[in-house]
Amino acid sequence: MKKGGIPKFVIYALLIACCSIPLFFKIPIPNKPSDPSVDFYKTLSALKEGDVVLLGSDWTGSTRGESKGHMKAILRTLMRKNVKFVIWSSADPQSPRAALDVIAEVNAERVANKEEKFQRWTQWVSAGFYPNADVAINAVAQDVRTAFGSRRENDTNGVQQQIFKSPVMQKIKSVTDFDLVIDVTASKTTDFHVQFISAKNVPLMFAVTGVMVPETQVFYNSNQIKGFIGGLKGVFDMEQMMEKGINVKDANGKIAVASDKISGEIAPLPGVSVGQGTKYYPTLHVALLLMIIMIGIGNYEMISARKRQKGNG
Amino acid sequence: MKPEQIEVYRTIAAGAGVLATIGLLSVLYKENKFYRVFEHIFLGLAAGWSAVAVWTESLREIWWDKLTGVVETTGAVTEPGRWAYILLVPIGAMGYMVFSRKHNWMAKIPMGILLGIWSGLQIQSFWTVYGPQMKQGMLPIIPTSFDKFIVRSDAPPELAAVTITWSQAISNFLFVFTLLSVLSYFLFSFEVKNRALKNFNVAGRYLLMIGFGAIFGSTVMMRFSLVIDRMYFIWDEFLMKRILHMG
Repeated sequence: MKKGGIPKFVIYALLIACCSIPLFFKIPIPNKPSDPSVDFYKTLSALKEGDVVLLGSDWTGSTRGESKGHMKAILRTLMRKNVKFVIWSSADPQSPRAALDVIAEVNAERVANKEEKFQRWTQWVSAGFYPNADVAINAVAQDVRTAFGSRRENDTNGVQQQIFKSPVMQKIKSVTDFDLVIDVTASKTTDFHVQFISAKNVPLMFAVTGVMVPETQVFYNSNQIKGFIGGLKGVFDMEQMMEKGINVKDANGKIAVASDKISGEIAPLPGVSVGQGTKYYPTLHVALLLMIIMIGIGNYEMISARKRQKGNG
Repeated sequence: MKPEQIEVYRTIAAGAGVLATIGLLSVLYKENKFYRVFEHIFLGLAAGWSAVAVWTESLREIWWDKLTGVVETTGAVTEPGRWAYILLVPIGAMGYMVFSRKHNWMAKIPMGILLGIWSGLQIQSFWTVYGPQMKQGMLPIIPTSFDKFIVRSDAPPELAAVTITWSQAISNFLFVFTLLSVLSYFLFSFEVKNRALKNFNVAGRYLLMIGFGAIFGSTVMMRFSLVIDRMYFIWDEFLMKRILHMG
C-alpha cells in the first residue's frame, strides 16, 4: 500500500459493495441491442418446431458469469419453440457438466411454470466430450454419423441405444442436415467452427465471452456467421429481446427494444425471460463507474505526488 | 434419498462453494494460507474431474467400446469389437518416452502425427477462414444512394447489394483506411522514407492501439462480470435462497 493512497482494504470493500448491492435492486438500463445480437435473435426466432440444432457447450465455471446466461437464453428459446438439440463439447472435460446443469435448471423452471419438461432422448441428446477441438470439429463437419456414431444414451425404456436412433437424430445424415449450429464458448473453438463448419454452408452462430467479441466481430462482418452474442451485454440483449421482442410497440405505443437492423418486428417469446443479464448488467455499470472514479483518483494522486517531488527537489 | 436430504446436501455443497470463492478471492488482498489451501483443492478437483470425464465422456465410447464391442443386456451384439484400435495405445504411449534419454526419439512419432494432422487441417482451412474476410475487405467507399442515410439489413438482397448509403460509405472508408494503414505498419522489409507513407504508418499504429484498447476494455468488463457472478452466488444463491429461504 502506497503512503497517502486509499487503503487496499477500502478499495476491495468498495468493489465488493459495488458488485453486490445493485444486484438487489431493479435498475432500468436503456439498451439498444447490438446488430450481431439482433441477427442472433432473428435467426433463433426463425427456427420452426421440429428443427434440429447442434449446440456446442465449450465453457466451464470459470466464465459462468457470461456463458451461463448465454446458454440459458438459448435453451429457453429452443425449448419454447420446441426445437430439438444435440449438445456436445470439444474444449474442456468440464463443459458437458456445465451444459447439463443449465438444462436441468431450465427444465426445473419449466416445470415450475407448468410447462412440459424437455425430454432427453426424444427432444435432446448429448454427444458428450471430444478432446482435441480442431480434429473433433473437423470430424463432425466431414462425417457426423461416424463422429457421433459410437455415442449411446438411454432411450425412453431405459435401454442403451446409439444416439442416431433417437428421434432427435432421425433426419441427420450429415452436418448440413442441422438447421443451425451454435457454439457457446469461452475458447478458440470459434475459429475451428468457422474453419470446418462454415465451409459446409451450415448457418453458424456464436455466444462468446466479452474478451472474444472483437475477434468474433470479424467473422460476423465477413458473413461467416449469422450473428453472435458477446459478454454480459449479449445476455442482456437476448433477455430484453426475448421479453419485449424487437420493434414491438407496447400498450402506450412505445417501442421498448428498437433496432434499425430490421424494418419489421420480431415478437417476444412468451414466458419469463429475464434473469442473469438483467441483474448483472446494471451492476456492471456501477462497478465500471467505481473503476473510472478510482482511475481518476489514482491519476490525481500521481500528479500531486510528482508535483510534491518537484517542490522538494 | 428424501428431497429434504437432497436439499441439505445441496446447501452443504453451496456452502463449500462460498468458502472456496472467498478463499480464492482472498489472494487479491494478499498471499495467504487460506488461499493456498483452496488453490490446491481446486487443482486436485480439476485434475481428478478431467481424468474421469475424459474416460466417461470420451475414451470409453469412442475408443474402448469400439475395441471391445458392445453387447446389449439381452445378449445381442450391437457392435462387434475391432482389435485394430489397440494399436492406438503404443502410439500414444510413445509420447511418454520423452522422459527417457535413450528412447526419447520415439516421442517424436506421435508428435509428428499430430503435427501432420494439424498442418493438413490448416491447408484445408486457410481459405475458409481468410477468403471471405479478404473478399469482405474490398468495400465500396463511394455512396450510390443519397436519399437514405442507412439501409436496413432485411431490404431485398439485390437492392441491399447495390445501395451504398452515406453511412455505409463512411463506415466502409474508415474500415478500408484502417485495414490499409495497419497493413502498412507491418511493412518491415524496407525502410519507409516517404513522409506520407510514414504518417499513414503512424496512423496504423494508433488505430492498432485503439483496437487493443477495445480488447482490453472487453477483458476488464468480462472480469467484472465474473466477480459479479461470484457475488450473486454468495448473496443470492447461497445466503438468500439456501440459508434465509427468501426469493
